[in-house]
Amino acid sequence: MVNYGGDEVSALVVDIGASSVRTGYAGDDCPKAIIPTSYGYHPAPPDADVTMGDGVENIDPVNKSKFANIYIGQSGPSIWREGMEVGNPVVEGLIQDFNPIKPLIDHALDKIMRVHSSEHPILVTEPTWNTPANRERMAEIMFEEFNVPAFYIANTGVLNAFAAGKGSALVIDVGQSMASVTPVVDGFVLRKGLSHSPLPKLIHAHARHILISPTPHRRGIELLPHQLIANKTLVDAGAPPKFTIRQDRIAGTTESWRIWAETREVDEWVQSVAGVLDQGWNDTVAAQRTTRQYEFPTGYNNYFGIERFQVGEQLFTHSPQLVASNPNLPKTIPQLITEALRACDPELRQVLMGNVVLTGGGTLFSGFADRLTAELTRSFPHTKIHAPGNPVERRYGGWLGGSILASLGTFHQLWISKEEWQEHGKPIVGQRCIH
Amino acid sequence: MSSGVGVSDQCLTAFQDLKLKKKFKYIIFNLNKELTEIVVEKTSDNQSYDDFLSELPETECRWVIYDFEFEKEGGGKRNKIIFLSWSPDDAKIKQKMVFASSRDALKRSLTGVAVEIQGTDFSEVAYESGA
Repeated sequence: MVNYGGDEVSALVVDIGASSVRTGYAGDDCPKAIIPTSYGYHPAPPDADVTMGDGVENIDPVNKSKFANIYIGQSGPSIWREGMEVGNPVVEGLIQDFNPIKPLIDHALDKIMRVHSSEHPILVTEPTWNTPANRERMAEIMFEEFNVPAFYIANTGVLNAFAAGKGSALVIDVGQSMASVTPVVDGFVLRKGLSHSPLPKLIHAHARHILISPTPHRRGIELLPHQLIANKTLVDAGAPPKFTIRQDRIAGTTESWRIWAETREVDEWVQSVAGVLDQGWNDTVAAQRTTRQYEFPTGYNNYFGIERFQVGEQLFTHSPQLVASNPNLPKTIPQLITEALRACDPELRQVLMGNVVLTGGGTLFSGFADRLTAELTRSFPHTKIHAPGNPVERRYGGWLGGSILASLGTFHQLWISKEEWQEHGKPIVGQRCIH
Repeated sequence: MSSGVGVSDQCLTAFQDLKLKKKFKYIIFNLNKELTEIVVEKTSDNQSYDDFLSELPETECRWVIYDFEFEKEGGGKRNKIIFLSWSPDDAKIKQKMVFASSRDALKRSLTGVAVEIQGTDFSEVAYESGA
């Protein structure tokens, strides 16, 4: 039995996002295990015996109904398997399907970190818009299935503000599926000021549209993943690709795997080339910027100029045509900020704008911080943006904040212990984890 | 959410001395080495604001209570007690985190603070921005 009341808590921190699950030791400066949240599985045929193959996770009886096999981690969905489907439990930042959560955390803790969850208190992060039912379910999984000695669930907005050294801050978090703006005042979230939208999804769809549509200068690009390509030949930039498809795999490829793989191709392209113009949209400036070369798995490669800025521009403005044709567009970053500030007291607005914290992989677009400064100083002259230059701090800010918080000896009084859980049950989560 | 760090009695005594007896111009607070309690690092009655600024470390966090004196237009001299959270960008991330999450504990025990400032560089704590 671990004495969680001591100073040496050796706690673990678990941060579940739409793109990856991050786990590691409290007190470390980066997560030990980072695995994709997407997982591969073979659906269980009704009433069939469960077979175990190589690289297959042990499945507990609860999950038998849904998965015959589940494939997780670096050799999970990225390895092609006949008939394998791909799923992701996180929808709009919230865990919608708890079935794969246990295998995912198990894999990270057991297979990669090789620790026993029953010996360490675990701190889990949650987005601000998490539901009470969801966090209680998480506590239940931790206590009942992982047998943790103590548990705490902390808000990513607050953790990010703390990690930036601020008790009050406006936290702008752009992840893989959601963009959010959270006002944090004295370590607590101002819930009425929270605003979020699935903006990154739109960015992705826009990038995909740009890539697959032919332009006068180039053809539409095939988004074939390398798993489906047998060989390719080096071609000149812009030339039609020369490659052979692995015909033997086409028939066994599922729709969900194909979507997952194409999504990854688009994301890689966005992360490699996309940027934001720092002073607002301007066709001439965009055309003058240096182009960047990118090669797709088919061998097709080209230089991308204006297109790479069109993608990033969607974070800040939507074109009038798009607005006219679609009234329910996700809110842009400036719209989210305006909405968040409108709900706050006027005297708080100045404090928040002086302490803007950027976090999440989606804020790593080149030029993002400069553009945001330019947009915000127009209405708030004293805007100060805190953007860690270190990509690890930016990408895993929530995890990092949790890591520091859980490593504090004085934090022990906040942990919910197993005994307390057994005595009080679910309501204690809402009473103890206030933010 | 807070870190659970405590506030030593010495902090309250020093604050009362500043507020009621006007014994000091400013008090600098720090965390003890074990990061479990907030303690008084320095008290001073030096009236120069620039001297005070030079006491703020460039890469470490502190809290400060400052008895700020200013001229009100047509109203003569006024005093306001300022609470400054000093958290420079170059400080270690762990220290920033502990200080940010412990600030509320200190602030709640010091009653009578008029203005709060979060400072990350020297431009934000210049005399003019206080006024």
